[in-house]
Amino acid sequence: MPPAEPLAAVPTDAALIAAWHGGDEPAAAELVRRYARALARFLAGAGALEADVDDLVQETFIRAFRGLGRFRGQCQFRTWLMTIGGNVLKDAHRRSRRARVVPLGDDLRDTDGDPHEQAVADEAELRLVAGLERLTRLQRDVFLLRAQQGLEYEEIAAALGTTSGAARVHYHHAVKRLKEQMK
Amino acid sequence: MNDELQEVARRLGARAAERLDVERTAQAVVARLRTEPRAEVRVGWIRPAWLRIAALLVMVVGAGVVALNVRIPGFMPPVPSTTAGGELSELSGDELREVLESVARLGGEQQAVSAQDVGLDELSASQLRALLESLGG
Repeated sequence: MPPAEPLAAVPTDAALIAAWHGGDEPAAAELVRRYARALARFLAGAGALEADVDDLVQETFIRAFRGLGRFRGQCQFRTWLMTIGGNVLKDAHRRSRRARVVPLGDDLRDTDGDPHEQAVADEAELRLVAGLERLTRLQRDVFLLRAQQGLEYEEIAAALGTTSGAARVHYHHAVKRLKEQMK
Repeated sequence: MNDELQEVARRLGARAAERLDVERTAQAVVARLRTEPRAEVRVGWIRPAWLRIAALLVMVVGAGVVALNVRIPGFMPPVPSTTAGGELSELSGDELREVLESVARLGGEQQAVSAQDVGLDELSASQLRALLESLGG
């Protein structure tokens, strides 16, 4: 029986980025696989329509790969990607200038579990989305990166070009305003 | 309330994420990366053929004009179009002087100056009129 091959080590983001720079397309695809869902959650939380999320995710990755020369490793690739996603979403909103329509159709009904519980959960999500739209962009991004993505303040601050103290303040302002919305 | 808010925040966008076809997205991104940077390079470095042809034409025409000016000094002097025929009488003094200077340049340089080396200043009014009439056809 031949000896088992050692498990291939999971390449780091930095290794994949370097490989992509060297022309390795599968490295780019792997980075997309790694972070596409997290990015989709961030974009949806930041106000993207579900129908637009796919395009926005693609556009964000394209911009990120084109702008990799500006990425100095000041934060994780994933966090940097979210900030680019925020810019892509802002540009998309500016272009479309359409009113944000919260999907209330089939996608909210097409779920498993107790319909009543699901309805309550959906209602809470809708109120949170509505509250997030009333925040400043910085407050919204800090809140999502912290509460949704689970990032540390230092990491958030590095990605958004601010201090961790300021990020903390933005987060607390956001929470305060959102709680008022959620009452 | 804080925990509840965080719990809702963690759930936010979960449906959109689940619905995303990650593999298809990865392939689409790679396909776009494969084609679009080439388009950028084409704009920046390998200019379109028509642009190269236009640039070549401009260079050829420019070189021709320069060469003509070198071989025939005073090529295309700014002679006012009003020098033709009887419109000369409508010219002001300054305009007439300009016409005469132009004629002097043309005649003097192309004919390498007449044997008598007569300047226009030395021509009489009737000689000037005759000269202008001959030029004006």
